Amino acid sequence: MFEELRAIQRQFGYLPADQLQQLAAKLGLPLSRIHSVASFYPHFYLTQPARAEVRVCADMSCHLRGGQELKTNLEQAFRGNEDVSIRQVSCLGRCDSAPALAINDHIYCGLDAPSSLSKVRDVLSGHPLPAEPRDHPRAPVASDPYAGSPNYSVVRRFVETRDWSGIIAVLKASGLRGMGGAGFPTGNKWEIVRNAPGKEKYIVCNADESEPGTIKDRFIMETVPYLVIEGMITAGLVTGARQGILYIRHEYEEPKEILQQEIDRCYREGLLGPHILGSDLAFDLEIFISPGGYICGEESALLEAIEGKRAEPRNKPPFPGTNGLWNQPTVINNVETFTFATAILARGGDWFKTQGKNGSTGMKFVGISGDVQHPGVFEVPMGTPYSELIYECAGGVLDNRELLAFAPSGPSSGYLPASMADLTLDWNAVAAAGSMVGSGAIVVCAAGRCMLDMALNAVRFYRNESCGKCVPCRMGSQKMVEMLTGWTQGQASSTDLQLIDELSTAMKLTSICGLGQVVPVPILSVLKHFPAVVEEHITQRRCSAGVCFPKRGAA
Amino acid sequence: MSSKPAPEIQLTIDGRPVSVPAGTTIFDAARINGIPIPTLCHQQNENPVGVCRVCVVDVGQRVYAASCIRQVEPGMTVKTSTEQVQAARHTLIELLMSDHPAPCARQQHSGDCELERLAEAAAIGQPRFPRRATPRGKDDSSAVIAVDHESCILCDRCIRGCDDIRHNWVLARRGKGYQAGVAFDNNLPMAESSCVSCGECMVSCPTGALTNKRVVGTELGQGDVLDPTELLHLPIFQNVSGTFLELNQKAVVKRHYRAGDIICREGEFGSTAFYILEGKAEVFLSSPMAHVRTEGSSKGFFSRLKSMLAPRQQHSRSEESNRPFIPIDASVDLPYDSPIAELGPGDLFGEMTCMSYYPRSATVRAKTDGVMLEMLRNVLDILQRNKTFRAQLERTYRTRALDSHLRSVPIFASLTKNFIDHLRDRVELVRFSPGQVICRQGEPADSFYLIRIGFVKVSEERPGGDLILAYLARGGYFGEIALLSGSPRTATCTALDHVEVVRILREDFELMLERFPEVRASLEKVAHERLEENRRRITQIQNLPVDQFLANGLMEAQSLLVLDLDRCTRCDQCVRACADAHDGVSRLVREGLRFDKYLVATSCRQCRDPLCMVGCPVGSIRRRNTLEVIIEDWCIGCGLCANNCPYGNINLHPFPVELDDPDHPGRMIAGTRVKATSCDLCHDHAEPSCVYACPHDAAHRVNPPEFFAGLLKQSSPLNRS
Repeated sequence: MFEELRAIQRQFGYLPADQLQQLAAKLGLPLSRIHSVASFYPHFYLTQPARAEVRVCADMSCHLRGGQELKTNLEQAFRGNEDVSIRQVSCLGRCDSAPALAINDHIYCGLDAPSSLSKVRDVLSGHPLPAEPRDHPRAPVASDPYAGSPNYSVVRRFVETRDWSGIIAVLKASGLRGMGGAGFPTGNKWEIVRNAPGKEKYIVCNADESEPGTIKDRFIMETVPYLVIEGMITAGLVTGARQGILYIRHEYEEPKEILQQEIDRCYREGLLGPHILGSDLAFDLEIFISPGGYICGEESALLEAIEGKRAEPRNKPPFPGTNGLWNQPTVINNVETFTFATAILARGGDWFKTQGKNGSTGMKFVGISGDVQHPGVFEVPMGTPYSELIYECAGGVLDNRELLAFAPSGPSSGYLPASMADLTLDWNAVAAAGSMVGSGAIVVCAAGRCMLDMALNAVRFYRNESCGKCVPCRMGSQKMVEMLTGWTQGQASSTDLQLIDELSTAMKLTSICGLGQVVPVPILSVLKHFPAVVEEHITQRRCSAGVCFPKRGAA
Repeated sequence: MSSKPAPEIQLTIDGRPVSVPAGTTIFDAARINGIPIPTLCHQQNENPVGVCRVCVVDVGQRVYAASCIRQVEPGMTVKTSTEQVQAARHTLIELLMSDHPAPCARQQHSGDCELERLAEAAAIGQPRFPRRATPRGKDDSSAVIAVDHESCILCDRCIRGCDDIRHNWVLARRGKGYQAGVAFDNNLPMAESSCVSCGECMVSCPTGALTNKRVVGTELGQGDVLDPTELLHLPIFQNVSGTFLELNQKAVVKRHYRAGDIICREGEFGSTAFYILEGKAEVFLSSPMAHVRTEGSSKGFFSRLKSMLAPRQQHSRSEESNRPFIPIDASVDLPYDSPIAELGPGDLFGEMTCMSYYPRSATVRAKTDGVMLEMLRNVLDILQRNKTFRAQLERTYRTRALDSHLRSVPIFASLTKNFIDHLRDRVELVRFSPGQVICRQGEPADSFYLIRIGFVKVSEERPGGDLILAYLARGGYFGEIALLSGSPRTATCTALDHVEVVRILREDFELMLERFPEVRASLEKVAHERLEENRRRITQIQNLPVDQFLANGLMEAQSLLVLDLDRCTRCDQCVRACADAHDGVSRLVREGLRFDKYLVATSCRQCRDPLCMVGCPVGSIRRRNTLEVIIEDWCIGCGLCANNCPYGNINLHPFPVELDDPDHPGRMIAGTRVKATSCDLCHDHAEPSCVYACPHDAAHRVNPPEFFAGLLKQSSPLNRS
């Protein structure tokens, strides 16, 4: 369905009603179903778009690095120009070179206002947009067992030994956990699918990383694509699945191409296909380009999207391990999880366990962005203190300012104060501190930031990305944004704090999926660690950082 | 085959050990054991979706479970109403109430809005959350169901009713997040969608988002009230919700007729349609098949004209229509020569009267004893949208009306029976709601249309507003210009009321042109005339300072009678001359709008937007190419055109006629019939009598654009300097 919709959009620039009608007839689906799906994904236009569709990211890292100012500049420059539409877009996954913006789906990073204005003017005057400049060369990955020259030894060994239980045992022993945020033990997941009865089984790689601050999967896919692919093939061989789907966000054009080249190579070399390395083992792998939206990263919503539906999370249980894609047993793991699974199986379970420090085990890729000197992706041992990550890996706080706060994993972890920077990158330690390691999307806030503003920014991201399926998330996220906006504009009610507390509890307990459950986390963390900031806004209508409240004299 | 009963699962609900078969949901397990759990999105006849979350329960996990969808597990400990569970539920209801327009339509009508009931039980008064800032709107397009998106809580019950229960697949969610809503097809107004009016959505809705519209129209007189189950037994009401029919019980009765009973009379106003269940009926026109003819000596200063009735065979006017069939509000057309036809079981008549309140187009009399359903528009809408009924209607149309309909269009008169047979299975009947666009200017053309029911407005988008080119009635056709030229649509055609058109696809249209060159020739001629006509009007508009004209509606006029007040002595000779010329009934009133020193008298202005053309139940009013209004022989004297004319320029002229004596069948009695007439410009005279009669040279018949253009130029302050 999405391929068909994209084809129509390529031809007409949007999805005209009569084309949807024809598509419905062609696919034998009700028109309501097609419209329902198309209208769910912001990537599809149901009306003719402007000549220049400008989308500016203003989530967390981009917000810290001037995304909002960039958007305001563009809006002022093109006010009243019907050929230009300027809107906000959710995180484009370029947090390490913020601020990011997209012009007619071409993504640009780190542009200042004058150069973005000239890009838009180029589009209006009919010049083709130059391709996004390719990133700087990548550092080698220490965990790569092949040191850049993959030979797919794990797959080769399995074809000979067929020792699936051995593989599951190694993974379990290594302590490898899901790296997408939830941290479910990988060996157990594969075992559940291996044991689940099912005619077909599926391996799905979640490469839809869309949470503000999360950029590690893009780095991994671009540098060690073969480890991801080998992890998926291995999972297929171990569980008996014959079909793999790598689900990638549509903004990741470059990693997609790199992966596709590697997949093509695997087919040529017999590592994929009906007879892997000449054996009776079969596994096919294809890339599925996401129609877009953060919610697609939620595993059951992702499966719904593959099935051509609205990406609305399912009620769980049942879980994907038994009732996944097309209701069949499905392994769904993050890019990084497949990567480390390959590394562990190639190097042995002990290798992974010996990688940690300060009492933790394993390795982790973390993305560090926001107010730091050198934002980027770093491969680090578990147990590394956050202070070390911020000051050594990322070169310290921007402009040598004081550290004010950091989010260990984007909006979903909430913010921790600078005083907790010695906390180590450890699943249990961070959980004990009321936060989480999550996907390792470390976002740094320097002194001078307003933490209420940062909380509002994070909650607004969730509101924008809520799928709307269940009441607590759909309505709760909106009401929360409205109330917090009120706090930053001098409209707070005496009952607000109590109401935020009640709302947060209800959202955490009753939302269908993780998105709705974490919506309150950013504001709760600020209420907990920065109560004075909230207090001054509510009672004194004052923002010491000078960020909030409409400026005097402003219209 | 014997199926093994599901194993029993033991669990604890609110401290009570219970045992239920595996696969049971917590909600059902609790319900069976007398523990009610509140819910909004769940109802017993639909698959659970767990979206409102009001039914959440504590099962001892990190988060609560939606009991409607979560199945029981062995040893599960369920708490359905702890303080925390109740608090969470309270918050959810308060959230929903903060966007709910309490009291909503359902609460107002029947006091059973499920959300408001829960809110009341939870003692939620004024919600503490901010209210929704952006309105979500209402959709009043359906005849039977009122849609208020403001009250929608996105419980998906209507969607499941439409999809899973009725398999109609019209409703679905649209959009995302807080902007999400429920949409018909691709977000169309309900009446324009493929909705079949089965009512399942409305019956499923817990709030005032979908409610039954009050029964519209005059009360149905006595008759047998129908039990919904009786209706459901009729194939034409198949797949309609019984509850929905029950709500509309007042909108349909069953009537028994004896042979000879009059069922409805032409020209009467009404609001019902009839569906024949048993027996036969005759449909006919009792009005004399003739038009008003004015004749007399063209010599002499004040010669008296005489008005009389004359059929077209006796008195043929220029551009006289030689239509062989008269379109009426039923599934058949009446032959001009013998305007009578027979209707039988399965036939529906009075649709236009019922949907759009037009006068009855014909008289219907029971030919045998029979049974009919008489219905108001609520039930008619349900019927018209029903799939079984539509199939039946299309069959009837194809077999009985398509021939006469096509042949009534003069240019198609030469089509062979073979070809009409070819078209028969290929044409499509398509319905449009008032205001719905049938085809849009600038879009590619794929079809040709014949109007089966209703009125279509043809307009062209111009800078500064739409220009109305024509109104087309039943029997009219459009869409040929773009098909002939292969260009995009040259005009926009919009349904003015409830319209049904016969759609002939491009390929069939082209085949027709190929096989019948004479059809092509006459179509091309008509298309050329229409284009020329449009071009002329547009040129006029473009060359004119239109501001003041538009304000007075004078721009609408093609021809005006103006009196120069400087010269006029108010002697009324013009009015008298008109009356003298038309059997003592003046068609001219010396009153009207003043413009500068001119009085624009009330007489037919031959408007650009001829409102009089809209609504004629038998399509007997039209315009010649000279723009003069012509009233066809089959005028039934209902007077709708006279009412519609905003300038009072159409009059009803009484004539003595002989009529059937209702008390003594077979005998005739003297009576009166009326026929509509308008200013005929005294076409038998050299110039209109009124102009001729004016002794002061004050009366002139003028073309307003030319006349006023000169005037405006003179009086413009800029030109005075």
